[in-house]
Amino acid sequence: MSRASQDYKSAVKPIWCPGCGNYGAMKALTQAFLDLDIAPESIALVSGIGCSGRMSHFFNTYSLHGTHGRAVPTALGVKAARPDLTVLAVGGDGDGLSIGGGHISHAARKNTDITYLLLDNRIYGLTKGQASPTTDFGHKTKTSPFGVDELPMDALPAFIVYDATFVARSSTVHVAELTELLKAAILHKGFSILHILTPCVTYPVFDARTLKAALQPLPEDHDRKDKMAAIVRGYSTSPVFTGIFFRTEKPTLEERLERQAQPFAPERSGDELDMLRKVLYDFS
Amino acid sequence: MSSRPFRSDVNFVVRIGGEAGDGVISCGELFAQAAARTEYHVFTYITYPSEIRGGFSMVQIRIRDWTIYSMGSRVDYLVVFNQESYDKTISGLREGGMVIYDPDTVTPEPSETTRFFAVPLTKLARESGISGPGKNVIALGALGHLFDIDPVVLKKLIRDRFRHKGDAVVERNIKAVETGYEAGKACGWGQRFRLKADPDAKASYMMLSGNEAVALGAIAAGCRFVAGYPITPATPIFETLCRLMPKVGGKAVQMEDEIASISAIVGAAFAGEKVLTPTSGPGLQLMGEQINLASMLELPVVIVNVQRGGPSTGLPTKTEQSDLKFAIYGTAGESPRVVLAPSTVEDCFYQTIRAFNIAEIFQVPVVVLTDQSIGYRKATVRIPDFERFHFMPFHDLIEDNPVIPNPAHIDVVSRLEPTSEELADYKRFRITDSGISPISRPGTPGGQYLATGLEHTEKGHPDYTPENHQAMTSKRFRKIEVLSNLLEKNPREYYGSPEARIGIIGWGSTEGAIREARYLAEQEGVLVRHLHPKIVLPMADRRIRYFLAELKHVIVVEENYTGQFAHFIRARFGIRPIEVHKCQGLPITPREILAAILNVARISDEQSITRL
Ligand SMILES: Cc1ncc(C[n+]2csc(CCOP(=O)(O)OP(=O)(O)O)c2C)c(N)n1
Repeated sequence: MSRASQDYKSAVKPIWCPGCGNYGAMKALTQAFLDLDIAPESIALVSGIGCSGRMSHFFNTYSLHGTHGRAVPTALGVKAARPDLTVLAVGGDGDGLSIGGGHISHAARKNTDITYLLLDNRIYGLTKGQASPTTDFGHKTKTSPFGVDELPMDALPAFIVYDATFVARSSTVHVAELTELLKAAILHKGFSILHILTPCVTYPVFDARTLKAALQPLPEDHDRKDKMAAIVRGYSTSPVFTGIFFRTEKPTLEERLERQAQPFAPERSGDELDMLRKVLYDFS
Repeated sequence: MSSRPFRSDVNFVVRIGGEAGDGVISCGELFAQAAARTEYHVFTYITYPSEIRGGFSMVQIRIRDWTIYSMGSRVDYLVVFNQESYDKTISGLREGGMVIYDPDTVTPEPSETTRFFAVPLTKLARESGISGPGKNVIALGALGHLFDIDPVVLKKLIRDRFRHKGDAVVERNIKAVETGYEAGKACGWGQRFRLKADPDAKASYMMLSGNEAVALGAIAAGCRFVAGYPITPATPIFETLCRLMPKVGGKAVQMEDEIASISAIVGAAFAGEKVLTPTSGPGLQLMGEQINLASMLELPVVIVNVQRGGPSTGLPTKTEQSDLKFAIYGTAGESPRVVLAPSTVEDCFYQTIRAFNIAEIFQVPVVVLTDQSIGYRKATVRIPDFERFHFMPFHDLIEDNPVIPNPAHIDVVSRLEPTSEELADYKRFRITDSGISPISRPGTPGGQYLATGLEHTEKGHPDYTPENHQAMTSKRFRKIEVLSNLLEKNPREYYGSPEARIGIIGWGSTEGAIREARYLAEQEGVLVRHLHPKIVLPMADRRIRYFLAELKHVIVVEENYTGQFAHFIRARFGIRPIEVHKCQGLPITPREILAAILNVARISDEQSITRL
C-alpha cells in the first residue's frame, strides 16, 4: 500500500508562528515516516509542553501531548509496554534540558528503543521569550533583563556522555539532512537523540541565516564509534557540526524485559487462571 | 440486647522485641509461618526503625482459632532480646502474662503478676559458636517448645528460609533451633498450646502481607506493567511485582523517580496495558501533575499509596492515615479520581482488583490508600476459589454489577474498545450519557487520536471555548456520578445493630480494631453501628445518610492529627462527629477505641438522664 504525506496529517491546524522552524521538523518527520513506510496507526508520538510540544497534535498518529518535561519517560512506558510500535518523543530545550533534564540520562542508560527529537530554539517560546538553558550568554530576555549571566548548556556532548546509543545533530534549516538523520534515528535500535537546532522567529536568539552559516556536516572521516572525537566535535561552536556524532549497539530495555520473561514462557502456556493459581500457591 | 459471643479457646498475642539486626523480625516471621501451617489464623504487626542497624524493632503475632480482626490490645507472651525492648513494651503485657528474656542483656523488674523465664540467648549462641545473629533462631526454638510445635516443622521452615545461603548456614541454624528447643524444655514452663501442623492449611491458605496482597491482586486483575521507585513502606509491593511480572508475561521497570514512574505507566496505559505504580506519601505528591494528566486523558492508572507517618520524611517506617486529603483534594484544577481504602490484608487483594476494574471501566486514575501497618502486617488469607474468576470485556454497564470482587465472585473487567462503526468517525472523547467513551488501542487502524492534557473536543482537539470546557468537565465527572450511583447498589458496608444510637466510622486499616471494639462494647451492653467505606471517593451518599439517620452520636476514628476523614464526612453530610485521633505512628487498638465508645455512651446516658 502506498501512502501519501496527507496520511500522516491530523485535522489540527498548527499554532506555530509563520516562519517557525518547527514546520521544517514537521515536514522532515512526515517525509521520514513516508520513506520508511510506517503505518500511522503503529506510531506513538509523545510530546512535552512548549511550542515544540505541540508537534504531536499535527500528526495523525497515536499522539500523546503530556506534561512539561515528561515526554521521554512517558514514551518509555509506551515502548516498554508495546515494543511493536514506533515510538517518538518530542520536546523543546526548556522541556528536555531544564524541567525534564533529569530523565534523559536514565532513558539513555536504559537504552529504551525510542527516538527523541529535542527542538532547540534556545528560548522558552510558548511562555513568550524567557531564557532557557541554551540561551546565549549576555542575551537579554524578560527573565534576564541585564543579559543571561550563565553560560549556555552544551547538550549534545552531555548526551554522548550519558551513553545514548545514537546522538546526532541537525537543524530545521536543512530539511533534507534532517529527514535522513530522522530515518537513521528511527531505524536505530536503542535510544536515539536528535538535537535539532531551530530558529524562533518571534523571540529570536539566532536567525536562519546565522544558523546556516554556522552549520557544517561532520567530516567524512568522522568515526562514529569514537566517543572522544564525538565529544570534542560536539563542543565545537564554529563550525557547529551536524550529522551522526556517535552510534553504538547495546541491548535495549525492551529486549531485556523480553529476555526476563522468556524463561517463564512454558509456564505461561496454560490458561490465565492456571498461571494465577501457580503464582498464588507460591505464597501458601 | 444482641451481644455477640466473643470467646475463643486459642487467642493470644506474642510480641518479640529487640535491636534491629538481632533478627527479631525474621524470628517472628518464622514463628508466624509455623503457626500459619496449623489450623489457626495468624495476624502479625511489625514495626522497625528507619535506620538499617540499631534502634528498636518488634514483631507481634496474634494466633487465634477463628478470624482475627486486629493485632489485639494486650500481650500474653513477651520475648525480649535487650533492655530497651523490655522497657518499651513491658507495659503492654497483660496481667498473668509471661516474659521470656535474655539474662545477659535484660534485667527485669520483679512483678507479682508476671511470670519470668530466662533463656540465655547470648550465652547459648556464643557456646554453640553460632555467633550473634543466631540468637533469633535459638529464640524460635524456645518458642517452638513453649507452643509445642513439632521440631520437624521448625526445621523445614529453617531449611526453606536459608537454603539459598548454602548447607553450612542451614546446618548451623538447625543446630540453633535444637539448642533453643532444649533450652525451652529446661525452663519447665509447661506447654500451653499444641500448634499442630495441619496439611490442609497449606492447600487453602496463603500467608501474606498487605503489600504482597496488593501485588497479587494486581496480577489477578491483569496488571502487566509496573513502574516504580523505592520508598518505605511501599517497596515490598514493587519488589514482589519485579519478581513476579516476568512470570506472568508482564513487565516491571525501576525508574529514576516517582514522576518518571507515573509517566511511564501513563504511557503504558495509553499503549493499552493495565498498569500500576506503588508509592508512599512523598511519592504521591510528586505524582500529582501526572495523575491530573491521566484524568484529562481518561486513562486507567492505579496508584497504590502505602501511607507512612508524618509530613516530609517524617516517620518513614511507622503507620499513619494522613494522606487522605492529598489523595482526595490534591489536584490542580478539578480532575476526577477514585480513592479506595482496603481494610484488611485479604481486602488488599480484592480492593486492588476492584481498583483495576474501576480504572478500566471509568477510565480514571484510582488511588489505593493502604498504610504501613496493613502493608507489613501478615495474615492468613484464604486462597481464592479459581472457579469464581470471570474475565470479561467491558460489559454493558454494570447496571446491576457493582464490580466488587469478593471471595465469592471475582470479576476482572477490561476497558471498552471502539467498534468498527465507531472507528469510521472515531471520537475518542465522545460525550455519552455515562461519560464513558470507547478507547482505542495503538496499532488499531482508524483509532488514532490525540490525547492532550489541554481541554479538548470529542476528537481530542484543543478547544478552550466556555461551552466545551463545561461540557467536557461534566463528561469527566459524570463517570464518577455513575460510579457513585452504582455504589448505592453495593451490599451494605456497615455492621452492628439497627437499634444502636452510637455510630462509629473508620476507613482503611482500622477496621479490625473497630470491629473488635464493637464486640467488646456489646459485651458491656453498649450497641454500636460501624461504617467502614472501602471507597472513600466517591461515596455512596444515600447509604451513608441511611446509616447516619437514627444515630445520636457519631465517632470517627482515624490515625492522624487533624481528623481528615471526619473533615470530609462533615463537609459532605453536614454532621458533627466526635473525633478520635491517634497520631503516634502506631495502629490504634481495640481497647483504645472501646474507651472512646464507652465515654460517648456515658455522655449519652447523662444526656438522657438530664432530659428526664
Ligand atoms: C510544570 C510546568 N511548569 C511550567 C510550565 C509553563 N511552560 C509552558 S511551555 C514552557 C517553556 C517551553 O520552552 P521550550 O521547552 O524551550 O519549548 P518551546 O516553546 O521553545 O518550543 C513553560 C515553562 C508548564 N506548562 N508546566
